[in-house]
Amino acid sequence: MIGLRNSVAGRVVLAVISLLVLVFLGMPIVLILVTSFGSDALGSFPPESWTLGWYQQLFADGSKWPAALALSATVAALTTLFSVALGMMAAIALVRSELPMRSAVYGLVLAPLVIPQVVVALGLFLLFEPAAMLGSPIAIALGHTVLATPIAVMILMATLKGIDERLEDAAASMGAGRLTIARRITFPLAAPGVIAAAIFSFITSFDEFFISQFLSSVDTITLPVQVFNVLQFDVDPSVTAVAALLIAVAVVALGLVSVVRKLGSGKDSGLLPVETGISGGDIK
Amino acid sequence: MAVLAPPPEPVVAAATGGNPQGWRRRLSGRRTRFGLLNATPVVIYLLVLFIYPIFSTLLLSLKGEDGGFTLHWYADALSGTNLDILLITLRISAETSAISLVIGFLLAYWITRLRPIWAGLVMLVVVVPHFISALVRTYGWIILLGDHGLVNETLLALHVPGAPFQLLYNELGVVIGTTSVMLPYAVLLLYAVMRGVDRGLMAAAASMGAGRLVSFFRVYLPLVAPGLVNAGILSFILCLGYYLTPALMGGPKQTMVASLIDEQVMKNNQWNGASALGVILLLLTFAGLLLLRLVKSMSEAAKNRGAA
Repeated sequence: MIGLRNSVAGRVVLAVISLLVLVFLGMPIVLILVTSFGSDALGSFPPESWTLGWYQQLFADGSKWPAALALSATVAALTTLFSVALGMMAAIALVRSELPMRSAVYGLVLAPLVIPQVVVALGLFLLFEPAAMLGSPIAIALGHTVLATPIAVMILMATLKGIDERLEDAAASMGAGRLTIARRITFPLAAPGVIAAAIFSFITSFDEFFISQFLSSVDTITLPVQVFNVLQFDVDPSVTAVAALLIAVAVVALGLVSVVRKLGSGKDSGLLPVETGISGGDIK
Repeated sequence: MAVLAPPPEPVVAAATGGNPQGWRRRLSGRRTRFGLLNATPVVIYLLVLFIYPIFSTLLLSLKGEDGGFTLHWYADALSGTNLDILLITLRISAETSAISLVIGFLLAYWITRLRPIWAGLVMLVVVVPHFISALVRTYGWIILLGDHGLVNETLLALHVPGAPFQLLYNELGVVIGTTSVMLPYAVLLLYAVMRGVDRGLMAAAASMGAGRLVSFFRVYLPLVAPGLVNAGILSFILCLGYYLTPALMGGPKQTMVASLIDEQVMKNNQWNGASALGVILLLLTFAGLLLLRLVKSMSEAAKNRGAA
């Protein structure tokens, strides 16, 4: 097919295949968004009539969704706090210092990205079960932090590398103290990266399923675990509205990241910092 | 946020004009201490919540019911239905990564030929789903592929013979689902490599009389091969431990190792057996990563030979 690349036919075939692949990637998402407003939540496409009923049902009395949403948001907020703090220090150590065994530390920090999540979840289960911490939001957040920290570190390392150290030296040469430099120079320059790291940590935790499932108890069920249970065991058509909300959260988060980065850098540095991280082969 | 950079020593050193060697050593010691200080929390955190749990999994998988050493759990994991499940996992992962590679290759190649603005838009369609929960996308596929889902309705309307097809709760359904999850990885990795290929090389090959096929196989493919290997192995590894999509879109015959681990822990309270399965997954992952390393160093060696 590449052999045909200069011929019109080859180009058309390639374009058609590629567009089909894009449909393949986008279709499940579009379908859920549309279906969540259809009166027959699991049925025909496009829906015959429209309704907001599924969304109203989510917050009706006796609904189990608000509790799950609140738990997921709490866990995600804690995870964000932990992973940005750990990630910032790790990024500073990796970018701005002479670290002995630097590549070992870097490998350790990125390892959770490639180790099967079921193994991480099983290990955490074995750690928290004897401590009677199953079902504790803190335990779930500590687990999610293992997965979110590598992402925060990659984003923050890229951010720190992008800050010209000479600006700090210049401020220092003019008599600025360390705190002043951090507050007036480094932090404002790093802020967009910190916000991006926070947002990605938040969605990593908010969408995480396996660790939450292993560490959950009957009363602490996160949103993705609840969605999974509904899909596997009982049919609750309002799950489509939950799925649509999860999509909305992810899209808003990505939008925020790109706005913050644009405002911060004044230039378009690509939508996603993680994109360069992943595609740069940083994983291994 | 208090300590963002090592204290600025250079000014003082320059002013005193002192011994530059000693100053450098002092500064480097400071920078090392500063690095250790900042690296310690994350290292301790991961040792306690990541490495230690994996080690306790390893220990548990080697511990017999009487507390002594045994390989019994591994024998269990590698025989009977458990072995079948492992083989199914390997097969589904191989199918997923092969399909992701082929269609990811086509899509990534197409993107490199687009104008930047279109390329940006298309990459958005690839990347945004990547950040949307895989659970949600799997649910979308379940609605799409059902007996009365959009896919079958469309096929019926087109009078495709044999429609409606069974697209869910079989291997086809699982592979469709896992491929849609792994594909963005493959496209991102391949696009990164393809973007770096110098088009001039292809033109040069053509000017020296190479046909399109020859210049594709002898020039283009070797240049993007590292990306192909990278994308193939990574999507294979990520698929091995994957749980959600197979659990929701597969039937009993598509049980994968992660589902088996989940079942052993949650239903059977069989932690030792689950640990052994986990360790096997881990070893397979390490094997994949090792292979990646090996291929990388081999291709670098080949490049160096070529240069010399």
